Amino acid sequence: MIHRMPVVAITLRSLLDRRRFWLMLLLAAVPVAITLLGRVLGDVTFSQIVFDRLVIQTVLPLIALVFGTGALGAELEDGTIVYLLAKPGRRFRIVLAKAAVAAGLTIALVLPATLLTGLIVATDAPDIVVPTVAYALAAVAGGTAYALGFLTLSSITSRALSIGLGYVLLWEGVLAGLLPGTQTFSIRQATLGLADALQGVDGETLDAGTSVTVLVVVILGSLALGSWRMSRYQLRGGD
Amino acid sequence: MTTEAPSQAAAISVEHVSRWYGNVVAVNDVSFSVGPGVTGLLGPNGAGKTTLLHMIAGLLAPSAGEVRVEGRPAWRDSEMYRHVGLVPERETVYPFLTGREFAIANARQQGLADPGAAAERAIALVELGDAADRRVGTYSKGMRQRIKMAAALVHEPPVLILDEPFNGMDPRQRLHMFELLRRMAEQGRTVLLSSHILEEVERMAESVLVIYAGRLAAAGDFRSIRRLMTDRPHVFHVRSTDDRRLASELLRLDCVFGVELDAKGLTVRTADLGQLTRHLPRIAKDTGISLRELRPTDDSLESVFAYLVGR
Repeated sequence: MIHRMPVVAITLRSLLDRRRFWLMLLLAAVPVAITLLGRVLGDVTFSQIVFDRLVIQTVLPLIALVFGTGALGAELEDGTIVYLLAKPGRRFRIVLAKAAVAAGLTIALVLPATLLTGLIVATDAPDIVVPTVAYALAAVAGGTAYALGFLTLSSITSRALSIGLGYVLLWEGVLAGLLPGTQTFSIRQATLGLADALQGVDGETLDAGTSVTVLVVVILGSLALGSWRMSRYQLRGGD
Repeated sequence: MTTEAPSQAAAISVEHVSRWYGNVVAVNDVSFSVGPGVTGLLGPNGAGKTTLLHMIAGLLAPSAGEVRVEGRPAWRDSEMYRHVGLVPERETVYPFLTGREFAIANARQQGLADPGAAAERAIALVELGDAADRRVGTYSKGMRQRIKMAAALVHEPPVLILDEPFNGMDPRQRLHMFELLRRMAEQGRTVLLSSHILEEVERMAESVLVIYAGRLAAAGDFRSIRRLMTDRPHVFHVRSTDDRRLASELLRLDCVFGVELDAKGLTVRTADLGQLTRHLPRIAKDTGISLRELRPTDDSLESVFAYLVGR
């Protein structure tokens, strides 16, 4: 891979080479484990809540936060970014490669977790198939938006991890409940809105059009802002 | 190399460049140009060397003035990197890659037709073949410097910029690096390296840029700058098995113009550092005196540069 796509390979290796990947794998396994436990205990009715609360609201943003901020932020922090910047070619390609890895890894963990969760209860609750597919597709779109948003955040601040965590827990977790108006600026609400739309249900989340718009704006906006940041990135430090 | 109007033909030209961070001026109206050969950017820590090199390497925008490399503006022109190899000061290299993978990744990013062959060539050049398949995380400081060097050389750039390249290298590795850079210079490449160690630059560079407190303190061929530096008085502290006798022997030398004896040893003042260091071992040998300590008391680069700026 180093031969063909060095930035993708380096980013992938840096994210897979650390203990955090195993932690993320463990995190992705939580909804599966809980559903499995429910199945063993004979309760298959709570899958929707697992999808909603656990997969979309917790596991997805946390995994995307770790991979999104780690894909670029670590190199900006330790200075190894210079080996990518001091090369010919547009820096947009660096951001694109890193975004693909961050989103890809997030999806690689959350998508199987979502599908497995549905599969575990599918035999006893066949009506879970449609929600499973809907949540899986929404997780792909939402995971991409989260990962790219956090990646771009790491190009702006070295505190991306804590700011991102604050966004997920406070803005999306608390404020969206208190002030419904803020839901429009929530990747979580857009992801849930998309999942609802794909199932053909009318939930309390954003409507289909708004959901898709929010996700597309976040994804494209993140790419554009991240590329702009990196094209003007200046190396600090030294004397 | 000149400090006057930078010529268009120069590989690196720096024109009235300043860089400030808020109220702090890191580099202050510096102009020079650098052509083929090895040029040393000499200055104490905090003088502005890295800031200057980052601007030359296109990684930092000048607050004022312009930097051009091979005729292209350094800032925001990534095509410049086809002609430039950069060895940054920071030691960190992707610890999870092997040396070979790191070199290949760099070759690939340069868009070379055969990245594998280019990487092999560069690895051989820095003599790291035996360790090329080890992870960089297991490398010593010196080996890391060499793999950084290989990465900078994969595309055989005409301009090579090195920030403190000898940091962490043992004497043998230094010697090897000296030879390597000298070879680069003989091939007509432009090598600009920074160092805060006078002796390193002396061994390497034909021309020198002395930077102190963000200003260009001196520029020219090394001999003339060295003369300026050595002509100033040097003060040494010497301890031996027989300080009194050593003092009388030293006073016979033309190059020594003062010796003070106290309970801690001798304070020797010389106008010619080279001569003193040549004579001292001979005197010790002839008289059977053992030298216990020879320590410059005022040879910090800060004092040398302060002298240059103030002269």
